[in-house]
Amino acid sequence: MGYFVDTLNSIGATVRNFLRPPVTVNYPAVIRPRPERYHTSFALLHDAPGDELCIGCLACERICPSFVIEIKQAPKRESPVTGKKRGYVEAFTLNLTACIGCELCVQVCPTDALVMLRTPEKPAFCREDLILDVKRLYANEKEKQAAWATGSRLIEMQDPNVGQPKVEKKPAPVAAAPAPAVTPVAASTPAAAPAPVAAEPAAAASEPIKGAS
Amino acid sequence: MEVTTPVRTLPYRKLELYEPEGDMLTLQLGPQHPSTHGVLRIKLHLDGEKIIKAVPYPGYLHRGVEKLCEQLTYVQMIPIVDKDDYIAPMHNEQALVMAFEKLLKIEVPRRGQWLRSLLSELQRVASHIFWLGTMSLDLGGALGGGSTNFIYCLRERELILDLFEELTGSRFHYNTHCIGGNRHDIPAGWAAKVHDAVNLIRARLPEYEAMSCNHRLFIERMRGVGVLTGALALELGITGPNLRASGVDHDLRRDAPYDAYREIPVNVQTAKEGDCLARTHVRLAEMRESLRLIDLLIDGMPTGPINSSRPAKQANQIKIPSGQAYASLESPRGELGTFVVAGNGEANTSPYRLKIRPPSLHALAALPYLLVGHNVSDAVAILGSLDPIMGEVDR
Amino acid sequence: MIFAASLAAAVVIVVLSATALALWYERKLAARMQTRIGPQFVGPIGLFQPVADLLKLVQKEEIVPMGADRVLFALAPPLTVIFALAAAAFVPLWPGVAVVRSDVGVLLVIGFGGLAMVPVWMAGWASFNKYALLGAMRAVAQSISYGVPLVLAAMVPVILAGTMDLDGITQFQATHHWFGLWPIIPGLPAFILFLLAMLAESNRIPFDIPEAESELVAGVTTEYTGMQFGFVYLAEYVHTVVGAAIGSVMFLGGWDGPFAPGLHWLLLKTLCLFTFIYWIRWTLVRLRADQLMTLCWKWLVPAGLGLVFLSAAWNQTGWSR
Repeated sequence: MGYFVDTLNSIGATVRNFLRPPVTVNYPAVIRPRPERYHTSFALLHDAPGDELCIGCLACERICPSFVIEIKQAPKRESPVTGKKRGYVEAFTLNLTACIGCELCVQVCPTDALVMLRTPEKPAFCREDLILDVKRLYANEKEKQAAWATGSRLIEMQDPNVGQPKVEKKPAPVAAAPAPAVTPVAASTPAAAPAPVAAEPAAAASEPIKGAS
Repeated sequence: MEVTTPVRTLPYRKLELYEPEGDMLTLQLGPQHPSTHGVLRIKLHLDGEKIIKAVPYPGYLHRGVEKLCEQLTYVQMIPIVDKDDYIAPMHNEQALVMAFEKLLKIEVPRRGQWLRSLLSELQRVASHIFWLGTMSLDLGGALGGGSTNFIYCLRERELILDLFEELTGSRFHYNTHCIGGNRHDIPAGWAAKVHDAVNLIRARLPEYEAMSCNHRLFIERMRGVGVLTGALALELGITGPNLRASGVDHDLRRDAPYDAYREIPVNVQTAKEGDCLARTHVRLAEMRESLRLIDLLIDGMPTGPINSSRPAKQANQIKIPSGQAYASLESPRGELGTFVVAGNGEANTSPYRLKIRPPSLHALAALPYLLVGHNVSDAVAILGSLDPIMGEVDR
Repeated sequence: MIFAASLAAAVVIVVLSATALALWYERKLAARMQTRIGPQFVGPIGLFQPVADLLKLVQKEEIVPMGADRVLFALAPPLTVIFALAAAAFVPLWPGVAVVRSDVGVLLVIGFGGLAMVPVWMAGWASFNKYALLGAMRAVAQSISYGVPLVLAAMVPVILAGTMDLDGITQFQATHHWFGLWPIIPGLPAFILFLLAMLAESNRIPFDIPEAESELVAGVTTEYTGMQFGFVYLAEYVHTVVGAAIGSVMFLGGWDGPFAPGLHWLLLKTLCLFTFIYWIRWTLVRLRADQLMTLCWKWLVPAGLGLVFLSAAWNQTGWSR
């Protein structure tokens, strides 16, 4: 008898779920919104005056745990925009087939030149499609939406000195103390929610770590 | 925890001396098999359908992670070990990073500690809920009630992965721990989403239980199957829910507290029976406990920096001259530890030797003891209830 | 004769297309139970998905494993479909009409159901695969065991109606009452017993141990590829559809219904039973082989025997006439 009762119970569970709307989406037609920090592919950026940001310092090539980046440095020359002498890359190859998406190359970039993209990568038809060279990396800058993370933002977020003096001033821990304005969004209880974040919800949602100095 | 005298006897019986009732059959369960949780091969010697000898052969997923870590610098290793236990990558990173921090004597700032604990508990819920799904799949089949419960469980796990994606940008291989703290801070509005997800999972847990461990069919399949005694479990080095289900009250979060567990006490869940059903109950109770802890952790999240050392700007930034350290934490599967011997060559940027202690490997060691006497259906249930992750076993 | 032949052809076509529809229906149903969307790209709301599956299966190479008994291996899958379809011949479609009207229809239907075990054993033995062999062993044991409660459950309407003719049973229900409803004591438990035994005979969860994917990879179908696999897969669904039809004929009045009796009532009842069977399938986990046998011989067979006696006693009271 117990079998029947338990079976009715589990049928109840399935009936309840039967009535819920589907959680899956019709993927190629409907794409769920990607969060701010979502990252897939890569792009190289230009700065505001239009100069290439990458200086060919090899930091990303050295830190990549799966060794997918290959850089050939160009000899130092004068920038056509600013006229200062600086480094350039001659070849920048990024092999997406072996990339593990750890974002370390973005973190170490001293000029914020290398960023990852929020626009999902389309499936490729051959392996060559997954090897990004300089041309494609710069094309990605124009065509696709960049992810939130850049080198300086990631470093800023991990800065050990963030909010340090203010925390010392107000040592009251846990949830009771209102968070200092400079800290990234802190505790979640309504009491502890920092006023600046509450005041500018839209801005805070898109640029969560802006406040740190 | 009482220490008992060793009770281990050799699990393998001599097949020449065995007198079968029916025909003898050797069945290779795996490496390609729907329910070996990855690629495990178990050589089963069957008498009819009764198992008289079982020999597990792991190693099909060996990727040389430990050897690779000897070549990489300390900064580069963290995203690599993510791939070990691919159901709970958060704990892999943390176990590795904790060993380096112990060597370097770096203290993680308080907010970093709480964040680590929060992520750890979220990952624990995700891992256990995934386990419940695969357990149902093992018992119910891919075309049946098992898969329904599997999809329910995965749906809820997605909620947690969505949270991680919002925090770190990745759903799975996060690379969010770094030596000295964390890489990613909490974005705005994340805490409310955590509460929502936790409340939703808590509200839906009775549904999964109605589909699985409260159902008499499920109970009949699990009760009294694969009984692991506490003494044998201790002898084999089994930790985590498998050990606690055998009546040994041991949890690193309470017995050797780290991070926020020093401030927040953990109610350790145990059961006495040691069978598959007890392991199910322990995991479900742990899931509830983790949901409680998540609420506490997110509400009490302190302010301040998340990282205490300079963020990595170079591959060879962190240098550990010499020394050795072992650090371990309570992963969803048990004690996950990292033993590191530092000092490799002139540069000192990579370890001389790095050893990861995977709890799943020890759980697999119990298979030859547990499987004997049951039939093939039970073999699947027992293997599933031990929750081994092959990526972690073979590394 | 010509009428019977054309009717037979029509029934085969109807059953096969109903099976194709059932495939789509089951997938949609399961998807909604699992809060998914289900097939939707092939045709309107994915209605032609079974056709696409069929085309895919036809295209695939048929591999015969080394060491397999080629004749038996090739013969088994078509036979499963034939035996499953054969039982459909005896289902009374509307008053007085079935493809084959037989005085011992119940016996033949159950006989063909039991025969379906033979090609399964052939497939399992010929595959030269241990998983297939284990699955086939389980299938034979299960089929033989659950044949007994199936016969006992089918005996109840036979005794109550006093005939073994399926159409006669339906006629009796149309003039008296449906067995699933009125003589509550032998009727309803017999219906439940019949459903359970039929689930086991057609290898549905919770009794699908012969092809337990998580244990035996795919049981007897492990080594089958392409259309050979398609036949076995098809036979399962035909089995379930026909089983549901026979269940509704024997216990739910078949073509009989409140307004206009006819084929539509039979189809509706079959659909309801089919939905129920598949709802159960996508809800429960499966039993273990030994528990299955325990359930059969310790519970279902004694219960079936008791029900047969009860229905005989009920007939003696004469209340139903």
